Amino acid sequence: MNLIHDIWRSIVRRDPLSTDKGKSELVFLNVWLHIHPAKVKKENMKFRHSFYLGFITFFLFLILLTTGIALMCYYRPYPPQAYQDMKDLQFAVFMGPFLRNMHRWAAHGMVVCVFLHMCRVFYTGSYKKPRQFNWVVGVVLLLLTLGLSFTGYLLPWDQLAFWAITVGSNIGSYAPLVGGQLRELLLGGHSVGEAALLRFYVLHVAVLPSAIILLTIVHFWRVRKDGGLSRPVWKLKAKTETLVTIGAPPAVAPLQATAASKDKTYGLMEVVTGKPIFETITPEEEEDTVFSYPYAFVREAVVLMGTVTTIMMMSLFLNAPLEQLANPAKTPNPAKAPWYFLGLQELVSHSAVLGGVVAPALMVLALLLIPYLDRNPSRRPADRKPILWLFTLFVVANLILIVIGTFFRGPGWAFVPPWVHVTGGVE
Amino acid sequence: MNRRTFFKFSWGTVGFGALISAVGVSLGAVVRFLVPSVFYEPPQAFKIGDPADFPFGPPTFLVDEKIFVFRDRDKGFAVASAVCTHLGCTVAHFQSDNRFHCPCHGSVFGPDGAVQHGPAPRPLQWFEVTLARDGMLRVDKDKAVPPNYRLMV
Repeated sequence: MNLIHDIWRSIVRRDPLSTDKGKSELVFLNVWLHIHPAKVKKENMKFRHSFYLGFITFFLFLILLTTGIALMCYYRPYPPQAYQDMKDLQFAVFMGPFLRNMHRWAAHGMVVCVFLHMCRVFYTGSYKKPRQFNWVVGVVLLLLTLGLSFTGYLLPWDQLAFWAITVGSNIGSYAPLVGGQLRELLLGGHSVGEAALLRFYVLHVAVLPSAIILLTIVHFWRVRKDGGLSRPVWKLKAKTETLVTIGAPPAVAPLQATAASKDKTYGLMEVVTGKPIFETITPEEEEDTVFSYPYAFVREAVVLMGTVTTIMMMSLFLNAPLEQLANPAKTPNPAKAPWYFLGLQELVSHSAVLGGVVAPALMVLALLLIPYLDRNPSRRPADRKPILWLFTLFVVANLILIVIGTFFRGPGWAFVPPWVHVTGGVE
Repeated sequence: MNRRTFFKFSWGTVGFGALISAVGVSLGAVVRFLVPSVFYEPPQAFKIGDPADFPFGPPTFLVDEKIFVFRDRDKGFAVASAVCTHLGCTVAHFQSDNRFHCPCHGSVFGPDGAVQHGPAPRPLQWFEVTLARDGMLRVDKDKAVPPNYRLMV
């Protein structure tokens, strides 16, 4: 008995979880959990502040990682075989369709949730000092997510995939000077062919996932260093809050030396001068804090289970589309890019250069620069009405374009409402 | 500047410059590596067959080559690209109005390939068609020709 106890104690070295010390040690003695603080601010963890969109996005990414690795066991990135393997996954592999569906719906979900997460961060003003750069990291993560989705779209090598990537990659070739060369570099040839499939595969399973993992680590680390989730807007005081900074000379009374309490110990690493860059908490905020175990962990676990369950349920009932084998000679009518690029395709159908290059470039640039252009220090919605309206306009315009491109465009890109049935063009 | 700072500065410059050039050369090599030296793609110049096999009147569409072969009793042969200049979809030639229609974004090209409608930025390309030594028609997609180019056989 003693031996088992010894082994257990060598693995789990913390105090029992019934004690506060044990709850703290669970977090900071564990390499996987220590990205969390030992204590979190209760109010910051409220659902109506963040809608847990960042967590959902991260969990969707975990689903994509696991199902993606599973799918790799049955996939060869080579033109005729790739499509054959999709058919195999669809009809012969045990649970093949289910795994493929999960991968597909989690991918769409991730694009949606990354975007919604960005909206939440914008509306709560959480990109403001000191979090400006983390917003930039987030925008890059959004672009990487789109890149992953786009490269994955080609892999089934069916008509849908082939033409979506043909149209999508041609949009890129309108970029001035380097557009054509970039497209050739991406495709490894002059048109979407076997070289393109292999390159998209490499990007999809190796390059982009590594990039997204590395940047996610930076993203999370910065959130943690900046004091966790931002303060909910309803906790913000009307006047711009002056942050109390540890080490700053007190404004009113000098610090009183308090007698060290006997049940608390401190491990002090080093004393350095200077102010910390991150948000520090005021005494009244400290009362608001609770231990991460179980308060935050239970919530995260519930979100994880909810995300997995939702994707699993969707995958039971909705099948990922698979059309006929890619045929470079026969363009389906209409040929559409993946849905999140249909807004772009709609713009491109009006003007290739303006819609395909200028508009998206300006959009990305504006997104990247938001935290630096918005000089208003207040995070309260009442203080930042104009910019909230501007952002809403941006979101709504994007949505309208995507809806038009998805549902209102028929053969020859003619305006066709979804309730009108069209049977092929005249020839 | 004394001797010590001079050497510090010059060694620093040399070292830093060497580092930057090493990184630059490596990056250049990576980019060059990614540019294929050999394209395993269909050749740009190819034979399409005996001139006698092509009918007069409506153009013949060659699926793999993505070209239309026109043959006129008086004027001869002409070859047009079937790739839309907008986003690379394959256009179809409609008998009804003798025009090319793109299924993707509704671009319409006239009989001479000129853009008549839609977002296409350039007219359809016409390719040089010649008679090879063995009497076959030979098309070279690398050689663009004006729309009035004709090969009399």
